[in-house]
Amino acid sequence: MLLIGALPEPITSAPLVVFIYLLLILMVAGALASVLLRSTLYAIGAFSATMALVGLLYLTIAPFLLFALQLLVFTTISAALLIALLRETAGLRASSVGPFSREWIIGAAVSAVLLAVVAVVVGATSWPVHVCCALPESFGGTLRDTYTVGLAVVIVGLAASALGSGLLLAAPILPSSRGGGSPTDRRRDRPRGAPR
Amino acid sequence: MSAGLNLVLVGSAALFAIGAFATVARRSAVVALLGTQFMLVAGGIAFVAFARFGLGAANATAGASMALFAGAIAVAELVLASGRCDAHIIELPA
Repeated sequence: MLLIGALPEPITSAPLVVFIYLLLILMVAGALASVLLRSTLYAIGAFSATMALVGLLYLTIAPFLLFALQLLVFTTISAALLIALLRETAGLRASSVGPFSREWIIGAAVSAVLLAVVAVVVGATSWPVHVCCALPESFGGTLRDTYTVGLAVVIVGLAASALGSGLLLAAPILPSSRGGGSPTDRRRDRPRGAPR
Repeated sequence: MSAGLNLVLVGSAALFAIGAFATVARRSAVVALLGTQFMLVAGGIAFVAFARFGLGAANATAGASMALFAGAIAVAELVLASGRCDAHIIELPA
């Protein structure tokens, strides 16, 4: 058991410290943007960016598996759910720009170049991956051995909530006593983009 | 210059405060949902920070496990709330 006098040393590597400062500043800015932006779609975009930045923060100070889960599972599921909610409620207009237009191709090329640069830096220097993966114990092993019950509860909770949400969305909606007509008809007849 | 427990905890507290503001002060249901997500993630960051820099380093992966659980709970809450929001908004009279 560690005592107070034997706390782990803070990170002193200059590039990593700057990286963490940058991550925290961008994370707070992204969270503020997602709260203050009036457009819900932009707010969801800022939220997804904030979650991705949290994943990068985990990459520097936590096991790699947590980073991967945060980035691939939590961020993706949260963004997909929120966009689905937005589509079902307020509606999303189709983009006026085609999928193979000049703007999309340039954006994809820039993204690919940036990803390639990151891959080259990580592959050549093993930074900052080697920092996070130096933990003595396996994260998966700890989850499996120490937190078996908690892990099972989380899995059952996630599955139950997904099932309940799916049933809620798929179930036919009865006519409301507060208004006439079927809500499904109302949704179908409503002009695209019209307020509810 | 160094990055330690205090720095990460300040970031976590800022994120929690923003989430609390969004949950309490904003009237949009979607933004309130985002606020609860931010608060849960801020808790996860604090767990990870204590596991990396604080007394929790004796068992460093425990903090990450707690962050994992917090993230899973956040996603489950989002699933339920989005389903409920959708059903409620559809039911409103035109």
